[in-house]
Amino acid sequence: MLVFTRRRGEAIIIGDGIEVRVLRVGRDGIRLGVVAPASVPVHRQEIHAQISQANRAAVDPAASDPAYRAAMAARLKTRVP
Amino acid sequence: MTSESLQPATGLDASKHDAVAVEGSNEIVLFPQGLPGFESCRSFVLFSAEAGPLQWLSSVEGAAASFLTIDPKLVMPTFRYTLSRTDLARLGSTDGSGLLWLAIVLIEPDGTLTANLRAPIVINPTSMVGQQVLPHDCLYPLRHVIVPASAG
Repeated sequence: MLVFTRRRGEAIIIGDGIEVRVLRVGRDGIRLGVVAPASVPVHRQEIHAQISQANRAAVDPAASDPAYRAAMAARLKTRVP
Repeated sequence: MTSESLQPATGLDASKHDAVAVEGSNEIVLFPQGLPGFESCRSFVLFSAEAGPLQWLSSVEGAAASFLTIDPKLVMPTFRYTLSRTDLARLGSTDGSGLLWLAIVLIEPDGTLTANLRAPIVINPTSMVGQQVLPHDCLYPLRHVIVPASAG
């Protein structure tokens, strides 16, 4: 991990043009601004980790089986129009 | 959208399945960043179930990533998700209209059927590009119960 000390208003540049700037340092935390191309996703780490974990838990090899999908759809009929 | 049979992508036997025809000559949906946890999966195919609310989203490369999905509005009629300008740009959409929304279904060990409404998958049928959008503020449930274990 690269470690920097930055004061308010200072920034770091990553790669071709991703910029992370310290906007405000406060009691509640540090406000960061990120400039990145639209093609680069930027998210809170804990959200990304949570969705990553949820996706891995949801992988269902049985989904390829039409009989399995039909069985699940039948269960859904009780709840979903 | 109509259903039609498609030639299978490598590794998939699509002959038994109806693929959801997403407009365009190519049925592969490109996910430029993959999915969180499956960043190596950049191409997916979407299949519809036989006359039901479920779809099957399957990667055609990278890790084996196979998911059941459902329209989030079916399980939560008030579901509303605002896409950022960045999300729209990535999907090749100007105004967010005509997009296909899918929530990944997770079946818990006790049989409870849940839907991930927090991070839906959005596909632009015109550009054949998709992504899983992550929330910036308002959080929908990660495991919204569709069918409890005891029912169905």
